[in-house]
Amino acid sequence: MEPELAGVPHSISPISATLLLAAAVSLALVVVFAPQRARLSSLLMWGVGGLAGMAAIAVAPSLDLVILLTLAIALLHAALAGRRALAARLRAPALAVALIGVGLLFARFDGPPILERFAAVGLVAGLAAALGVLPYIHEFDHEELTTASPVAWIAFLGPILGVVVITRGRELIPEAGAAFGAMLIGLGLLNILWGSLASWLTEKGTSAWHYSFMADWGLVLCAFGIQVADGQAAAVLILSGILLSRLPLYLWSRQPLRESVQTDRPINLLAAAMLAGAAPFAGFAARILLLRGATQLYWPLALVIAIGLLLWLPPSLRLGRTLGVPRGRQAVGAGVTLALSVAIGLYPQPILSLAGL
Amino acid sequence: MTIAAAFVAWAGAAVITLADGRRGLALGIAVVAIGFGALAFANGVWLGGAALIAGGAVCAVQLARTGSKDWGLMPPGSTPRMILAVIAAILSLWVAASVTTGPGGSLRFASVAVLGLMAARLLQAQAASPVLIAAAALAIALAGASGIGDTQRGLAPYVLGALIAAGASFLPVREPRGA
Repeated sequence: MEPELAGVPHSISPISATLLLAAAVSLALVVVFAPQRARLSSLLMWGVGGLAGMAAIAVAPSLDLVILLTLAIALLHAALAGRRALAARLRAPALAVALIGVGLLFARFDGPPILERFAAVGLVAGLAAALGVLPYIHEFDHEELTTASPVAWIAFLGPILGVVVITRGRELIPEAGAAFGAMLIGLGLLNILWGSLASWLTEKGTSAWHYSFMADWGLVLCAFGIQVADGQAAAVLILSGILLSRLPLYLWSRQPLRESVQTDRPINLLAAAMLAGAAPFAGFAARILLLRGATQLYWPLALVIAIGLLLWLPPSLRLGRTLGVPRGRQAVGAGVTLALSVAIGLYPQPILSLAGL
Repeated sequence: MTIAAAFVAWAGAAVITLADGRRGLALGIAVVAIGFGALAFANGVWLGGAALIAGGAVCAVQLARTGSKDWGLMPPGSTPRMILAVIAAILSLWVAASVTTGPGGSLRFASVAVLGLMAARLLQAQAASPVLIAAAALAIALAGASGIGDTQRGLAPYVLGALIAAGASFLPVREPRGA
């Protein structure tokens, strides 16, 4: 029996609750240590709005309501002033809703078992379109405000939406679970390769950050596709890393990127190490868990992922430099982010316990 | 009755696919809402059906009374879109009647056809109005499709779908601006 909220039954998984908490901490970090020229009221208003939308998605009792809520969020997000046309802002998330909706329909139809596989295709394709990962990368304008840009989907709304669609989707298509997992792993490997190479080689610094989110999502998709406890734990840690480390650093790097400032101070190297998932940061623990999970499933997969992980180093060094030399509040913010990541990396159990893992 | 309602829903989606003008799009969303509303009535979800029709009506009226008063139905070069609408109907009919089994074939046909056509419209359209109306029709179709299957999902999807459809037409269309 599900608990009721204002007469509507609801359920929230421990993983969703954990990520919701991480998103709230991320928003607090970004607002408290906001860059001087940031539009604080806009950041706070849309951040709290996004958080409310994520909470609604997390507690929604059915996938029908989840995708309808996603469509509502997409419409409100598209109404924000941005540099891209409204059609470009709305197209990808609305298409994602349509694809997940088709997947949902096929999961509910009575008929031959292959319908569940079609449902899996719809769910995975819709998820990729919602997040903005390969094969549906959202149109990105490097000058656009972060709140109005696709980064809001891939880095802020995406973690909760991804977890909810994957966990509920898996329950809907139990007989196609293996195909669903295989598609997630395939898509994940593709995004690891494309995201890390593009983040390294692309010309614009903001685009490099955008691609780095894609690469991280590649790891998350692989981790969820593995379907063993270590994989789920790795996914939670990587998603927490996106929210607590990569997103705040991206926002703080916007101003130095505009001013074309690049520095090689110790703080930049530490940030690069954190982004690359080096020890003792949280990304390292996540990568160890991911490799252990992949080994349990099929050891050559662990080998492929391990080779893919090496691709994180060059783009992370590049992204670390774009942070410039943080001063004042931003220096404190960068320090807090690094400390949080070290704490999670050294002792990830509290987060994993909170996520029920 | 349900077969006619499913056909009406597809016809509305076809009009949205074929129209570029605001009146044409308003007609399309109204017809989609009537089709899914009637299907909900046939399933015994009276309040849900009424909500969908009301949401579609608000969206259509708001769209028709603001902006330019053109229909824009089947502008030159829309032959591919017409072929798409017909092929979507044939494929959806095949899925609903031949591939899948069980009761509710009309709702299956309408849901697959409208979702497929609206996904295509989202990918094809460049202007704001067709994309917003495609999203509104998507909301109505998803709400209507919540009636598929054995589990009762209550009124919430219908009410939320109707609110999204109605609200989509009120969104301020702000076009590109600097960072």
